[in-house]
Amino acid sequence: MEESQEGSIEEPPVEDLAASFRQSRKEFWFMVMTWVAFAAWTLGFNFLFAKGEEGEAVEVVFGIPKWVVFGIAIPWMIALGLTIWFAMFYMKDTDLGHTDEEYANEKGEA
Amino acid sequence: MALISFGIYLAFVFLLALLANRVGKSKPFVSEYFLGSKSIGLWAFALTYAATAASGGSFMGFPSLIYTHGWVLAWWIAGYMVVPMIALGLLAKRLNQVGRIAGAITIPEMLRHRFNSQMVGNLATFLVVFFMFFFLMAQFKAGAEIMATLLEGVPVYQKLVVGVESATAGLPWIGNARADYLLCLIVFAISVIVYTTFGGFRAVVWTDVMQGIVMGIGVVVMLVLVISQVGGLGNATRQLDEMTPPKFVSVTIASEAPVEKDLRLPRGEWLLVKGGYEVIRLGSAATIPAKSEVSAPVDALLITTPAERDRVKRRIDADLKITASMASEPKGYAYGEDKKGVYVHAPGPHRINPAGFLGVMLALSFFAFWNFSGAGQPSYMVRQMAFRDTPTLRRSMVMVAFYFSLIYFPLVIIFTCARILLPGMEIYPDRVMPEMANVLTQNAGVPWLAGLLVAAPFAAVMSSVDSFLLLVSSGVVRDIYQESINPKASEKQIKRLTYIVTVSVGVLGVFAVLHPPEFLQDLIVFASAGLGACFLMPMIFALYWPRTTPAAMAAGMGSGGLVILILYLIGYLQTREFQEYRLFDLHPFIWSVIVSTLCLYFVSRSTPAISITLRERFFGKEQK
Repeated sequence: MEESQEGSIEEPPVEDLAASFRQSRKEFWFMVMTWVAFAAWTLGFNFLFAKGEEGEAVEVVFGIPKWVVFGIAIPWMIALGLTIWFAMFYMKDTDLGHTDEEYANEKGEA
Repeated sequence: MALISFGIYLAFVFLLALLANRVGKSKPFVSEYFLGSKSIGLWAFALTYAATAASGGSFMGFPSLIYTHGWVLAWWIAGYMVVPMIALGLLAKRLNQVGRIAGAITIPEMLRHRFNSQMVGNLATFLVVFFMFFFLMAQFKAGAEIMATLLEGVPVYQKLVVGVESATAGLPWIGNARADYLLCLIVFAISVIVYTTFGGFRAVVWTDVMQGIVMGIGVVVMLVLVISQVGGLGNATRQLDEMTPPKFVSVTIASEAPVEKDLRLPRGEWLLVKGGYEVIRLGSAATIPAKSEVSAPVDALLITTPAERDRVKRRIDADLKITASMASEPKGYAYGEDKKGVYVHAPGPHRINPAGFLGVMLALSFFAFWNFSGAGQPSYMVRQMAFRDTPTLRRSMVMVAFYFSLIYFPLVIIFTCARILLPGMEIYPDRVMPEMANVLTQNAGVPWLAGLLVAAPFAAVMSSVDSFLLLVSSGVVRDIYQESINPKASEKQIKRLTYIVTVSVGVLGVFAVLHPPEFLQDLIVFASAGLGACFLMPMIFALYWPRTTPAAMAAGMGSGGLVILILYLIGYLQTREFQEYRLFDLHPFIWSVIVSTLCLYFVSRSTPAISITLRERFFGKEQK
């Protein structure tokens, strides 16, 4: 640990950081990686297939152009499922501290 | 009938504001007015977030883009598939926690405490107020345009418009505004200012919940009506595949014989071109002067798709003895002219850009923009400071995910089909949503439903404008007056000042938007990009990297905002329009994020770290 000025530090060691902070940071990186994965899918697929062939009629699946179904609708549904899983199972509950109402109630009780 | 159902909706909004005012009376004013005492529950948090996100842009600007460019808009908006996770999850938990540790009500206040720096807080306040004002302008314009469409054929309204026109004639600045727009702008602004001032954050959240429900119902009803009226989605997509973009042309209007008095044809009128084969739609009103047979040349839209032309011909009054003659060579789109399939494939037709509407780099920009600019908006951040606990956040994420899936993808379906039901809307694309509501409900024999459907975009606009109004007023009252001018101000003084500021900001917004830019979406994207550029990366660093310093925060916020302003200025100088400059076809937001990140990192590394006490307070094991 390197002191840069009186009473200040450069990088705190991981064990000095709150568990809730470390958990939030882990979830943060999961979300960033999720974005990268879905961006790669939609941009990659649509870059290859969204232009269509000159002079050919559009291919339709469920009434929607085929490239939209595979490049957007299906990843959208998977993203919906992943969001549910992330919110319900991966993300941990954390004590956020007191709300203003709780402070007011505590004051009242005191 | 449509007007009555719309009126009932507005009455409910005011009722909710009244109830919110009663509930909030027993609570400390500042925290209650600006943050609903940080006790917002599941439904309220999820729907206030979703309703604020789905602003006038989603329900007015977005439909007009879908209509103009076709299915490629599904790609443009695709980033929304992960928005509920990223925009809600990226910052919310830490933001709420740090906000509570700091005892903060606003974002600038939270940053001020996090870094123990007045300079950081003041800069954040300035940036919020500056960029948020553009948002307010955009929403005011959207609200006024929706009202103008809804009231167009109402006799009382027409009389009022004439009255306003004569009352304001000759007045500087105000007198030059369109009278119908001015009247609707004033009515809309008064409605929102009154309920926001009266009910504060709680009223805004409650009305957001109702507006969120109205929007959801509106989209589902429109989706069902549109699919049934175009004969199924597959049929609509195949018809769209055959369409070619319209052309722009100058025409003169001629009658068979000289007219006795001035004959005025309104903007939007359909006419046959001499010879009876082509059809045009007037882009502006045309007048044949008395004792004459021919008008001066006016702008018009030439329909190029044969099937569309035949459908329109059936609508034109066969007895109309007036025809159009082309006064200029028709000018086609820079990309898509006479090209079938452009509405169902990428990059989509474009009037000016020869590369089309959406290239892959721009698609990447928007995939990032919707998620990260969304996460970086102070209006969403302030909501993330207000939810009660983490189960509320987790469940809200699921609700918002379903809600956005229900709204955005169906909107693409509805407004690609709109090309079949509503040809020639290129003359006023920002009106395609209310026009569709009218057409769908009239075709279905339920005209009263148009009021509810139009209430959906109106709800979107209202729920955004109230949040922005509150955010700007909180910036002035809490972050400037209470923090820097009078820290010992009594609750009564704060309350009075808050009301005055909320009303003043609203009035100022009305004056600023009397002569708005042509395209609503341009203002919205500029303001979103500006706020995202100023706050996204600085907030991520502030919440997740203990080493971030106050100087780095100032550099990160300032550089982000500056990059946006510079790239828009270059765009303006190049095109003389409110357009951004896209370096390597990337949106300015991407460049601002890169510059802001570099500034944050290097300035943090080269300036002294924050004190141990401060670090322990926000990151240590015993956060308090």
